[in-house]
Parts: sequence; structure tokens; C-alpha cells
Amino acid sequence: MALPLPPGLTPSEMAFLCEMELVTVIPRQRLEGLELLGGPTQPLNPPFPAPLPLWLALLLKRQRRANIRTPPWLRPDSLAAILEFETDTAKEAFSPPPNLPPPTTTSLHVDQTTAYLPATATTLELSPPFLQNSTTSAPPDALPYHWLELSQLLLAAAPDDFEDPDSVRRLLRDLREVRMAKLRKGIEVLDAGAGIKMNGVGGMEIAESRAFIGGVVDGLRYVPSMRSMELWGGGGGGSLCGTE
Amino acid sequence: MAIGPRLRGRPAHTPGPTFLNYTPNGRKLITVGLNNAMRIFETGSDAEPITIDDVQDAHTAIAAANGFFVVGSEDGTVCKYSLETNSLDGLLVRSTLPIRDIALSPDGIWAAVASDELVVKIVNTHDMERVMYLREQPKPAKHVSFDPSGSYIAVSCTDGVVYVYSLSSEEPELIKKVHGLIRALESDAEACSRVVWHPDGRAFAAPTATRDIQVMSRSDWERQRTFSSGHSSEITALAWSLNGALLATASADRNIVLWDTKTQTIIKRFDQTSIRATILDMQWHPTENLLSYTNNDGELYLHTDIVPPEHASLLEMALQGAPLIHDPLKETPGNAGRMVASGLMRSGDNSRKRFGTPDSLDEILGNDGNSEGGLDFIEDDDGAGYVEEANGNGKRTSGHLGNGMAPPPKRPNYNNDWRSPIHMHESFQPGSTPWRGNRRYLCLNLTGFVWTVDQNTHHTITVEFYDRDRFRDFHFTDPFLYDKASLNQHGTLFSCPASDQHPCTIYYRPHETWTTRVDWRVELPAEEEATSIALSSSYVVATTSKGYVRVYSLFGVPLQIFRQKSSPAIACAAWRDYVLTIGNGPLKADRRTCLQYSIENVKRDQICQDCDTIPLVSDANLVNVFFSDSGDPCIFDTDGVLLVLQHWRTMGQAKWVPLLDTNQMARLQSGRKKELYWPVAVARDKFHCIILKGGETEPYFPRPLLSEFDFHVPIATLAPSTDDEEEAQVGTEVQRLEESFVRKELLLTLMTDLVHSTNATHAQTMELARAEVEVDKTLLQLIAAECREGEERGMKALEIVGLMKDRTGRMLEAASKIATRFQRDVLREKIDALAERRLVGLEEVEET
Repeated sequence: MALPLPPGLTPSEMAFLCEMELVTVIPRQRLEGLELLGGPTQPLNPPFPAPLPLWLALLLKRQRRANIRTPPWLRPDSLAAILEFETDTAKEAFSPPPNLPPPTTTSLHVDQTTAYLPATATTLELSPPFLQNSTTSAPPDALPYHWLELSQLLLAAAPDDFEDPDSVRRLLRDLREVRMAKLRKGIEVLDAGAGIKMNGVGGMEIAESRAFIGGVVDGLRYVPSMRSMELWGGGGGGSLCGTE
Repeated sequence: MAIGPRLRGRPAHTPGPTFLNYTPNGRKLITVGLNNAMRIFETGSDAEPITIDDVQDAHTAIAAANGFFVVGSEDGTVCKYSLETNSLDGLLVRSTLPIRDIALSPDGIWAAVASDELVVKIVNTHDMERVMYLREQPKPAKHVSFDPSGSYIAVSCTDGVVYVYSLSSEEPELIKKVHGLIRALESDAEACSRVVWHPDGRAFAAPTATRDIQVMSRSDWERQRTFSSGHSSEITALAWSLNGALLATASADRNIVLWDTKTQTIIKRFDQTSIRATILDMQWHPTENLLSYTNNDGELYLHTDIVPPEHASLLEMALQGAPLIHDPLKETPGNAGRMVASGLMRSGDNSRKRFGTPDSLDEILGNDGNSEGGLDFIEDDDGAGYVEEANGNGKRTSGHLGNGMAPPPKRPNYNNDWRSPIHMHESFQPGSTPWRGNRRYLCLNLTGFVWTVDQNTHHTITVEFYDRDRFRDFHFTDPFLYDKASLNQHGTLFSCPASDQHPCTIYYRPHETWTTRVDWRVELPAEEEATSIALSSSYVVATTSKGYVRVYSLFGVPLQIFRQKSSPAIACAAWRDYVLTIGNGPLKADRRTCLQYSIENVKRDQICQDCDTIPLVSDANLVNVFFSDSGDPCIFDTDGVLLVLQHWRTMGQAKWVPLLDTNQMARLQSGRKKELYWPVAVARDKFHCIILKGGETEPYFPRPLLSEFDFHVPIATLAPSTDDEEEAQVGTEVQRLEESFVRKELLLTLMTDLVHSTNATHAQTMELARAEVEVDKTLLQLIAAECREGEERGMKALEIVGLMKDRTGRMLEAASKIATRFQRDVLREKIDALAERRLVGLEEVEET
């Protein structure tokens, strides 16, 4: 039996994945370190901030056991700067994602003395959610992969931890509209073999536009084949047009 | 109330609105009114005033300087008249709508003109082409007034908002809109919404809608004292006396009230029913006991001896402070901050007069006109002011230099003799902030925070914790007016100053007990005040004004009392059994006291450090002193440097080592940010502080978030932006590693001291071994960086190898591997030789 879901990740699945992102939490009570599937967490000891996965942070926040420190890029001034970059400087492109940290070696028990040598062992390029892109140490001038879903979750669960939640909401909506407009504009130039550059596009934006873009690309692929069909055998095309 | 027969209105102008202004030297009084004449009265003479005729009539505003005066009229012209020739000097500015108010800056250079136009113009009185515009108000301005320094101007707008501009910059800059202070009045209303600056410049007063006079401070825009319930109708005029000790207000029912600034009480009320119309303008004579006012009927009143004789001394006092609720100049705040401390804040009377030089001309010739006590050489018999009054220092004031309103001196007058002032460090309670408005923090640390609110008759104290699970926040009404607090995991300690009901009291309130709460109070002997208090997990410490250090147990048992060796005390801190006290020591060459600290172990009754100095650079002050979470004393000074005390458990070995220079932090390197760091604690090898932006010096409400910063020992300046990026990067890499080495080495020694002097747990010992390896690892990286640089750096690399702590030889082996990798064979051989020598123990012998 075929799964009734469209291919790719749906927005809700995307939001679920986003909950693995690490955020910085200011605990309001003590908690021993937890052995989670994703690795152990730091013991919580107020008022020292600690990184926790978003789902756990939201849970603690709902129980009023912690406050969430918003990442630097989610402050009104940084968002305003990114928005200005998107509208004025970047033109067609999207604002670039945060820089990746240098790759690290995979094996945990590397001889410490050889750590300075160029890694001969297999290296691991980190990607979300293992990047600390949403903790307080994140860069303030770049939107991470999960920016949209993360900000929505934080605004819904912890609006009191924001400096100015209303202006953050407004700026986020502006950003989203600007970037969505760019995505749609990109589709206009799409052809069967062409592509658009989607560097810096967030996960949720892809998930949201996947159905639409996929449909357009499928349609475009269909049109030339139809044309060739028309050339090949005349009658069939007419009947197809009639059915549509 | 009886009015002396001497009070009579002088019909100065035709009936109608009349205004007046004294020249700053007080010799002349100029009135303008409805007719086209201006009248200049000489103070102290009953002669007919000089009259200047003018083409304009219906004058609405006047401002006078010593040599000229500026008059505005209803037809929108502002003219300047000379007082020397008593004639028109020229047109200053023209407006399309009637002029409402004119103010001259204290130096007489700028004239601010408020008209029914929206823009307030500030015109240069010497060059009418130089104009500044104040454009922010949406409606016409009713009054303008300069502050005594001339760097701020307050505009009372007809929309009921006071706009305060700063004139320090090229373009006037709006710094504050004060809502809800004054009423929204029409620009030609009789009632007044004028802002009058207190002569000391720290506050201003304005009439409110409730017919009171509200004082507001300029530093934090908080409402301060109120002169209340003096008038039953609208206030139409108000004026401070020139020393700020008295305030005169007049209301529409023709009452004049004299207020004492200090107590905000009514000294005298004059029910001037004989005056026919509302008083529109009033001004004190700059030196005499004389208040002049004009009414809406063209009359001028010179009210001599208005201050009753029993209060006349108020007028003769020096400049009085503005009535602020918590005057930072009067009470010593808990946090000394950057106040210049001095033990010589004497009043002028008992200060020692300078002795004359032996056989000086003055001594030989005797008293003359300028010597004190002697008969004045020039007798000022007509009050024209030929002779300037000598001030408290026997010097003539700089009043003759122009404006007559000297700005308040920047620092208090410490001492009158030849010696320069001695700067003593003020005592402070670590972690507290001074009063701002009606609230302050008594204690701010990583456990929680204690803050108090002044409710006039009592205070309310709130204690909040970060860990809400373990502790419960509490709140209580405080009739003792506690002004110091110390908070830790076990309890809260308070102390209050002595008052007439109770002596100075120390109050300890534990957070939790297994019996009923056992909070206790100790009263200190009479006339002894606690200057700072500290609480550790086992002791309570207080330093007192009598120079004692008092140590109690957590249940109030007095354990020790001893005289502090260096006093007066500045601050104290406590951690477990250790007590750190800081006091003022001997004078240094720059006439500041040298700060001295002592550390004592109370339990073992053992002195760890005795009267050792705290090295502060030139004019820096202590901001905070505390123990880090691992028990090392830390200080933070006004230069923004965090210092930690190394080897403090051994007598004579202690030294202060910088852990972090906040001025060198990367976030400030762009030069765009201007922020200060208010220290809170050092914990988990991080510096916890509150970032203060916008020129603030202390944290305020709502409580700002804590920020944490890694240590960074100031070894070298941060990455200079050179053109050759690659070279710069290599350079900074080495610098970074060097800094990291010094920092880790420092933390290692702190940890070693701790582990060796306490019953260390297994985890601590493990941590120590790990830290040692960390230091060596940093050195290995440094060797790699040096090898990469080139063959010629081999000597340096070998030296770095020699710094390694590791005795097992593994680290040296690794170093040799690095040298092999970079094909530095000579270096490798030398490292191997060193490793061999170490292995057989030769190295130790060589070192000795």
C-alpha cells in the first residue's frame, strides 16, 4: 500500500526535525544531566546557561522550569539587518547561511598529540542539528537552516523571553514574504533543464514550496515530451488537450 | 497676612501683560509691557526709570544679559538693545507669529526664542545668522529655559510635554520627552507651564496640573520631591532663589508662596489681594532679599525683605542641592562607583585658613580693601556692586568674567590650604547599586538578588532567587530601612544604619532550617555603623565605622572582634572560613590612599595575607570584590580589569593577576559599541557580568540578563588588521596560543593551590591532572606553530619544550614527533636529548 504522503518532508515533519536543534536555556531549577539518545545533556544549575535540545527546552519552558535565551539572529536589530540585506543588497540571491565550522575527526579516541596534524582519519562535516546555530553563540548575521520553524516555535512557546516579540513577528513575516517572492520569481526562469540557486534557503521554505516547484518542474518536463509526441504522431496530442 | 506699606505697585506700563528681567549682576531691572516703552530700573534707587521707546508695542518677552537685553513682541520681532547706550542694537530674529518667550543662555551668547511657530529658534546674539532650530515639538512652545550650564534647554510645549534638548553637539539633540509633568496650556494663557532649572543644574521644577510643583532630576528623569498643596488655583509664575535654597511661586488668586527647598515646606504665604491682576512674571534679585514681580495690569512690584528675618539666612547660604529623594552627593551610596572619595568634605567654616607668608606685603601693610576682615577699600555704598564679594576661599569669584552665574564647580571644594586633596576610597557594599529613583539593588550575585523600594515611611525588600525550586522568593516590609545586604545559599544578611529608634542592627535570615526559623538580630554599640557586611557559608562578618571587624557565627554567636589594621574600612567579603577585609592604607605619591587587604582564616585563627596592597592604577576605584566559586579573591576596578589573587594562602606570596581586561574584548574592537560591564561573579572559569549600554553605570529595573565572558589574559593587543592577511593570521595564531598557555597555567596554579590546601576530592585531583595535560597540549600546539614558521624558530621551540610539565616523557615524545613531521631534524635531536636527560633525572640537577 502506497503511503498517502507526497514525496519529501512535509512541513510538520520539518518542524519535528527542528526540535533537535540546540538552544541556550537559563534554568530556573536544578536538573541532573540526562542520558538522551542524542547524547548526554549538561546538568542544569541556575543561573548558568546550558545548551539543550529544543524539544526539551520547550518542555521545561512550559513547566516554567527554564527560560530560553533567544539566539542572536532572532533579535530585532539583527533581523532588520538581514531583511535589509535581502531587499537591498542580495537582489536575486538569499542571505547566506552561517559559516560551517571546520570539519572534525569522527573517532573520539584520537591520540591527543596528533590532533594538530592534518586529519588522516575520516572527517565529519557537521550539519544541522549538530551545529550550534541557535544557541547564544550563533552568529547574529545569518539565518540558519531551521530559522523559520525555530522562530515560530519559540514565539509560540516563549514570547516573554523575547525583547520585543511583536516587532520580531513582524520582521519574520517580512523576511518570509521577501524570500518566498524570490523563490517564486526563480520558478519563472525554470526550464526543463535549468535550475535556480537555492543557497541559504531554509528547510521549512523548501518543504513549503516543494509541492509547488515539484509540480511546475514535472509539468515542464511533461510539456516537451508532449510536444515531441505531437511531432511523432499527430492525433494523440489533440485528444490529450481535450481531456484537460 | 499683613503687607508692609512699602509694597506698592509701580505703574510701569499701560494695563496689560507685563514682564521683567534682572541683569545677571542685579544692577538693572528691565520691564516690558503693552505700550511701546521699555523701562530700566536701577536697583536700589527710587529715581525715575530710564525709558526706551520703540516702534513695536505689545511686548511679550524679555531676557537680559549684563550688557544688553533682548525683547520679543507680539508682531513677531525680537530686538536687541544695548544697556550701555540704552538704544536699539538691532533686530535679532523675526517670526511670522507672536513671540511667547525668550531665554538667554548663561553666557549670554545664545537666545532661545519661542513663538507661536512650531520651531524654537536659538539665535546667536552676536551673529544673527547663526541659528539652531529645535524642531521636535508638534505644537507651539510656551516657555523655554536653559539649564545653569547652558548645555541643556527645556521647551514647555503647548501639547503638555516638556522637550529637553542637549546643546553639546553641533545640532541640538532631543534627549527626553517628559510626559505628564506639565499641563497642556494655550501659548497665551495666564497660567504657566515653565520649567525652572534648579541652580545646581541636577534637577528642574515645573508646575503640574494638580497645582503642585514637581521636581524632576535630569540624570534619570525620575520624579523627585514635590512642593505640594500650596496653591488653590493655577500657578502663574515660579522662581528659584539664586542659591536654590528658596522657591517662590505665585498663583492666579494672587497668592505668593515662599518654599524652603530642603524641606519643601511653606515658609511664608503672601495673600496679595491688593494686587489687581495676576502675577505673570517674577524674579529674585541675584544678591539681595528682594523679589520683583509684574502683573497683568502693567504694574511692577519690588518686594523688598520678602524673606522673613528668621529665614533670611537661607538666602545667604552657598549653592544648595536640588531636592532629590536620594541625593547621591549627600549620602554615601553603597557602591562607591566612580565618585571621588574624600575624607575632607568639610564645610567652609571650619576649614583651616591659610597662614600668610611671613613678612609678606600684606602683613607689613595691614588690611586693605581685598583682605578679609578688614574694612573694604572700596565702600560699596550705593549697591552698584563695584566690589565683588569674596567667596569662602577669600578669592573673588569669576562672576565678573561675564555671566555672573558661574557653573557649579565640578568637584567639591576639598580643602583650602596648600595641600592638594587626599583621595580616600569610599566604603561600599559589594554587589549593590546606589539609589536611583526610589529603588536600588542591595545585593546582586549568582544566587539571586535583593532589592528595596523606598515607600517614604518604610522600605519594602524583595529577595528573588535564580533557583526557584530550591529557594522560595520572599518579600517583606522593612521599617528598619536596611541599606546593605548579602545573600548566599544559606541565608540573607541585612544591616541598617542607626536611627533615633534603634542602633545599627545586623539581621540574619536563614533560608531554611529544620526547626522553626531562627533569624536573629544583633545591635551594634551606640554610634557604631556597619560600613560593609559579608556572609559566607559559616560566618557573618561586618566592618564598622569604629574600625572593628566583627565576626559572628551563623547563629549570631560573636566569635571575634578585632581592629582592622588599615582603616577606614572599604569592603569585606567572605568565603567559607576565609574573611577578606579591605581598608584605606597609607598615602601614595599621588595623594590617594593605598588600598590594603587582609585575609584571615577565622576557623584556624590564622592570617593568610596581612595588609598587602591592592594595586590600583592611578585614578581607578574598586567596583566590586568577591570570591570566585573556587574561592579565589577577585576584584574588578573602574578601568574594567578583572584581577584574581594568586598564591594567597601563603603569606607574602600573593599577587594580583589580570584575568580579563574588558576594554580589550573582541566585541568592543569594532569601536561602535559603547558599553560597560558591571561585575557579578566569577564562576566556572567565566566572568559573569551585566552589560550596561547607553552610558548607564549601574544595573536598574527590570533586572538585566547576566552575560558571561571567557577569561582573556591581556598578553597582547587583539588581531591588528594588517594588509598581509596570511601573515597576520599566523601571528594571531601564535598570540592566541600564547595567551591560552598563560591563562591555563594561571588557572592551573589556582587549582593546585586549592587542591593542596584542602581535603581534595578524587574528582578535583583528576581535574588537576587533566588541567596539567591541557597546559602541555597548548604548548604542543605552540611548538607546531613555531615549527611551521621556519627553521630559525627552533631555539624558541626548544625553549617551549623545556616548559612542559609532563614527567612521563609522553609529551616530549609527541614534541619530537612534531619536529620530525616538519623535518626539523636538529630540533628533534635536541628534544630527544632533553627527554633522555629528564628520564634519568639530570634535568633537575641542572636546574638547581
